[in-house]
Amino acid sequence: MNRRHFLASSALALGRVALGSIVGAGKATAGTVSSQLPHFRPRAKRVIYLFQSGGPSHLETFDWKPRLREWNGQPLPDSVRRGQRLTGMSGNQSQLPLAGSFTDFHPHGRSGLMISDLLPHTAALADQLCVVRTMHTEAINHDPAITFFCTGHQQPGRASMGSWLSYGLGSLNEDLPAFIVLVSKDAPRDQPLYSRLWGSGFLSSEHGGVQFRAGAEPVLYLADPPGVSSQARRAMLDTLRQLDGEQQERTQDPAIAAQIAQAEMAFRMQTSIPEATATAGEPDEVFELYGEAARTPGTYAANCLLARRLVERGVRFVQLFHQGWDQHGSLPGGISHQCKTTDQASAALVTDLARRGLLEDTLVVWGGEFGRTAYCQGRMSGGDYGRDHHPRCFSIWMAGGGVKGGHAHGQTDELGYNVESDGVHVHDLHATMLHLLGIDHERLTHLFQGRYFRLTDVAGEVVHDLIA
Amino acid sequence: MARSARRSRDEWRRLFAIAALGVGDPDRGALAPPDFQREVLPLLADRCFRCHGPDEGARKRGLRLDTAEGARALLKSGRRAIVPGDLAASEMVRRITSEDDRRVMPPADFARPLAEGERDLLLRWIEGGADYATHWAFVAPHRAPLPAVLDAGWCRDPLDRYVLARLEADALAPAPEADRSTWLRRASLALTGLPPTLEELAAFRASTAADAFERETDRLLASSAYAERMAADWLDVARFADTFGYQSDWDCNTWPWRDWLIGAFQRDLPFDEFIVEQIAGDLLPGATRDQRLATAFNRLHRQTNEGGSIDEEFRQEHLADRVSTYATAFLGLTVECARCHDHKYDPIGQADFYRLGAFFGAIDEAGTYAYSTGAIPRPVLRLPNVEQEAELARRDAVVAEATALYEQAVVAARSSSRERIAALPALLVAPPVRHEPLDGGAPGPSGSATALAGDDGPTFGDLPPFRRCDPLSVRLAVLCPDVKARATILHTSSFTIESDQQGYQLLLEEGHLAWQVLHLWPGSAAAIRTLEPFPLARFVDVVATYDGSSRGGGLRLYFDGEPVATEIVRDHLDGAATVRTLQIGHRDRDVGLAGGVVDEWMLFDRALTEIEVAELHAPGAFAASREALQAAEISPARDELAVALDANVASAFALLRAARAAQQELLESLREVMVMEASDHPRPTFVLTRGAYDQPDRSRPLAPDAAIPALLAFDPTWTHDRLGLARWTISPQNPLPARVAVNRLFALCFGRGLVDTQENFGTQGARPSHPELLDTLAVDFVESGWRVKAMLKRLVLSATFRQSSVATATQLDRDPLNRQLGRGPSIRLSAEMMRDQALLAAGLLVERLGGPSVKPWQPPGLWEEAGATGAYQPDVGADAHRRGLYTFRKRTAPPPNLVLFDAGSREQCLARRQPTQTPLQQLVVWNDPVYFEAARALAQRVASEGVELDGQLVRAFERLASRAPTVAELESLRSLHESQRRALLADPAAAALLLPPEPGSAVDPAVAALVLCCSTLLASDAVMRVR
Repeated sequence: MNRRHFLASSALALGRVALGSIVGAGKATAGTVSSQLPHFRPRAKRVIYLFQSGGPSHLETFDWKPRLREWNGQPLPDSVRRGQRLTGMSGNQSQLPLAGSFTDFHPHGRSGLMISDLLPHTAALADQLCVVRTMHTEAINHDPAITFFCTGHQQPGRASMGSWLSYGLGSLNEDLPAFIVLVSKDAPRDQPLYSRLWGSGFLSSEHGGVQFRAGAEPVLYLADPPGVSSQARRAMLDTLRQLDGEQQERTQDPAIAAQIAQAEMAFRMQTSIPEATATAGEPDEVFELYGEAARTPGTYAANCLLARRLVERGVRFVQLFHQGWDQHGSLPGGISHQCKTTDQASAALVTDLARRGLLEDTLVVWGGEFGRTAYCQGRMSGGDYGRDHHPRCFSIWMAGGGVKGGHAHGQTDELGYNVESDGVHVHDLHATMLHLLGIDHERLTHLFQGRYFRLTDVAGEVVHDLIA
Repeated sequence: MARSARRSRDEWRRLFAIAALGVGDPDRGALAPPDFQREVLPLLADRCFRCHGPDEGARKRGLRLDTAEGARALLKSGRRAIVPGDLAASEMVRRITSEDDRRVMPPADFARPLAEGERDLLLRWIEGGADYATHWAFVAPHRAPLPAVLDAGWCRDPLDRYVLARLEADALAPAPEADRSTWLRRASLALTGLPPTLEELAAFRASTAADAFERETDRLLASSAYAERMAADWLDVARFADTFGYQSDWDCNTWPWRDWLIGAFQRDLPFDEFIVEQIAGDLLPGATRDQRLATAFNRLHRQTNEGGSIDEEFRQEHLADRVSTYATAFLGLTVECARCHDHKYDPIGQADFYRLGAFFGAIDEAGTYAYSTGAIPRPVLRLPNVEQEAELARRDAVVAEATALYEQAVVAARSSSRERIAALPALLVAPPVRHEPLDGGAPGPSGSATALAGDDGPTFGDLPPFRRCDPLSVRLAVLCPDVKARATILHTSSFTIESDQQGYQLLLEEGHLAWQVLHLWPGSAAAIRTLEPFPLARFVDVVATYDGSSRGGGLRLYFDGEPVATEIVRDHLDGAATVRTLQIGHRDRDVGLAGGVVDEWMLFDRALTEIEVAELHAPGAFAASREALQAAEISPARDELAVALDANVASAFALLRAARAAQQELLESLREVMVMEASDHPRPTFVLTRGAYDQPDRSRPLAPDAAIPALLAFDPTWTHDRLGLARWTISPQNPLPARVAVNRLFALCFGRGLVDTQENFGTQGARPSHPELLDTLAVDFVESGWRVKAMLKRLVLSATFRQSSVATATQLDRDPLNRQLGRGPSIRLSAEMMRDQALLAAGLLVERLGGPSVKPWQPPGLWEEAGATGAYQPDVGADAHRRGLYTFRKRTAPPPNLVLFDAGSREQCLARRQPTQTPLQQLVVWNDPVYFEAARALAQRVASEGVELDGQLVRAFERLASRAPTVAELESLRSLHESQRRALLADPAAAALLLPPEPGSAVDPAVAALVLCCSTLLASDAVMRVR
């Protein structure tokens, strides 16, 4: 490279830096690192993450443990516990009686995946599901565990999954944010959610998740003030362009062009977001598929439907949060209700994506921040019991986006307490998700405070066994 | 310099390109060896130190490249990584140039391979002698000689010489001076966070005084707004918030510290004292209330009360946060890496991290905060107002007087104890106020007793109320089957986490019996424990007494009628010991007395004496021992009984108890704020293996006797506590704090620091753009007594600051980021400034200093959506329009209009906000009701000032942008106004929505259209930035 070329290319690079902050949710820009990405051919372009917050019990959903029923009421053997720590909620109990699942499991599909009777719709998709039964995590309480799952670290300050994707891959559309978050309003608010779970951490804030909310204003501050018509807004925006154009002429500052682009994007969002969220116009058969609850904006079912509409419009990462899985007590009633609220719509989403040809490059993930103990928290009475938090093994499922169908990965012990073989750490799951998206998790990094950070911290192995 | 000036333009461009990008040039033979600190060290740190750096644990093949000795040492392989000047003999050369994937360094799978130019640079460095130099920031700063410049007349302050010298060396000229309005906007926003008013602008423009700029600067620095602006900046560093964070995220009531902060800036507290007071104000001789309050800085980290949380895990989080915040705030270092292993890039060992933790951990704290009692985490400072302080002094005096009278009565009663015992026919122990036989299925001393499984057991409500001035005694027969590491025998609290223990309780701890009266464990409790283990496998008649003194010495334990030897474990009960439900042998989420048996619980409303306890245990004991008691020359037990039976003592005690009750009632109603306070019970500190709280390396105990030795040794005269650490920090030999501080002040004025990475002055941080200037300013700062206002005054009066920010094409091309300071700053307003500016221009801003945080309007439902907390109740009236720094900061649901403008969630220390541009920001300025309300008020304000439309538009523009619009800008606004006025004339309903009219009057479409013009202005560059 001679000097002239060098200067020309560095001038270009500088131009890109300046432009980089322009189009927040627009095309991939130098504000992201997407110039080197993807690292290899992606299997998935986008992700829908159905986050089941609170810690769904694996023992009543995807990890069938007949031995637990057999030994119902017997104390947890020390050989299984192995001195591992328990939470302060059940750790002081004088006894830790094993609790068998109240619900039955049956094999489903050609694959014969064992799935609980609480999830009939999900079970019907068995051959499309890739169930990981050996997820494990480090945290034992909700806040650290959900923060760990969503950002790769227990302590706040790191970037969330979706923001890493926005940073790494940029957006697939011009009118909507790259990363959108939907929180169910029909879930028990047993454990709080925090904006840090979808925050951008040390990444530029343009990569943070934008929460869409049910109701008249899906995004904060989206609606014009009373009395400001869209014609008035357009006229105001035109004037703003003139004012800023003047200013740019005076100052020669490229940041002003970026500002104008942001304003135009904001204006487009005022139209594109109401359009994307207007699910009412969907045909009746769609509501039959997702369930009647999908007609009520903000429900889990409506959010599943909305997630499909958003990925259709090029949103990179949609993350749903559904609370209410924290069954310390009265688990049979609680989890039955949770499954009833979410089962049909979760399955409908996979079905709907598949029939629209979107499933093959959309990765759907279902799961919570940890599992639940094989033993009962508190007293067992009659058929009632509760389960405490359990980080040592739990189940999630994935579908589409290049993962195997009808596949169960990993083996837990006969009590569903420890991983027996093929454990998948949260970092491993993240590494695998990124891999499916064409990203080498060790190479998607961001220099902050003198250190290269990545979603998988200093660990994570791609689990090739999950990939079709 | 003359030679420099002769260099051709192309030559300069080439050198610039290399310097800026660190990339070598093909004809490298012509170049001198690279600068170690600027070019080589960052490269080594980034590519090599992960395996060959300071971290001993991660070091591969015994090779370290961070020291000259290490790099030149003979390795096991018989080779040397670096032989200075000898490329052929240096193994490193072979490795970095190897084509073999198995031999190449960095390893083939390393994410950031060496680029060709980088490899070249290392070769040139080795060829040139491989000189090592200490990282610039770890060497104490020295004032650099004032450089010679061609255009000395341009310079107004010595600092300008350093800037100009570099510009001239690069053949760049400084920008012309900005006009007065621009300077005043810039200086006002930099120093006060508010733009100038129309009056201030006019006066300054018209001023003919020779010292007009100085006067303006002095005015700004003297204002309260200055202190608020400086505080707002430091709040990010201090990770100040109004809630604890984590799951429940309740209010943490730390705003009094924020007011201390404002006060510190207002009175221009020298920055070294500012540092000392925040680290260790409480340890200063004769510490004032303010100095103790300053230490709340160390308690502003997040805390949890999530059920099930493990206390020690979160106590370690507190320590780590304090250490990291301290290091970033005052040293500009990122030490968090050293929590798990030695720092990979900077000379900070893992032991250094935990040793720093030993300084900050020497307080009597819990790892979690209370869920059910409302107790504020200890230690606390109470903050009476003036009236309360006077009243407290009065009540203290009453207690002192009552204490003296009581003691006199006790002495008198003792003196006649022998006679009184002689006159006592029999001892009648007053009956208990509560007695539960605890009859159950098990045999016990009284016949039938209750066996315990550990998870449940007897529970009694409607307990007699208890204040800590009330004496009491508890009696219970207890059989404990085996040694218990911990077991609850009897307690009065509910329990979600450890911090919920309150009232009084009997516990088994490591086999010993503990008796506690407590507000909050461990920071507010009176507690004793038996020296001998609790007897096993037989019933013990346990009596526990408390004399109402709030002291550990006021507690006693008796087994089977005999006093037992105890030690005082805590002697610091200073809060209400409220009782709730009494439970025996169990407590929710705590360990119960599994396998134990209990019988006959009794509660007495006085402290039983030794002789009474013996009598209770074995009726007739008194009669049997009376003669001996009478005969004894000295008998504390006899004296004690006599005192207890004395009517004068009883009435004196009643007065004392009432006086204490009044005193404590007032004390416990006072505002409490968490602060630092040295503990008599410091916990031992160890290195935690891989940072895990439950893996202390007990072979590596640490004492707070050094800070970071690689930076500066600890002087033997410094104490081994936070005050010693503070002295170490501000020592003139410490290379970092003054640099970090002046860099921060520089960034306040110029938008970025001389060191771009304000949070990191380590080897991975940015190099200073003007190293000599940074060091000179740092030395000046220290020598001038760390005076913040004086330093800021220099900065804003400098020629550098006065430059126009308009970039020439050459500058855009050669220095797009203005690293060379060849033009004035151009800065996007902070979240708070943007809102404050809009409110000020509209005449809505309420400038009231300090006080509790306020809750201006925010979109409804956000707190509810975050879950587990109450609803957000927006303030109305004045508090809706206070400055942004007072906005209530809830960590898990921070105010969206601030966060969208990069204000952060305050979950951890943030040394620098990184401004971004997103469409959501536009939506805030367009549609947030606060901004639209400001647009409306501004429109009405200018419409009422008796000028024509153009005048109105000019006034609105100038109030927001501190300058008059250009002809074209005015034309654009006028045309918007005209089109919207016409539209609104045709649509009065819309006009009425824009500008709700007074009842009975009509909306003026011209004013309504003006609202739209003002709203448009708010989103414009001229308003959102300072240029």
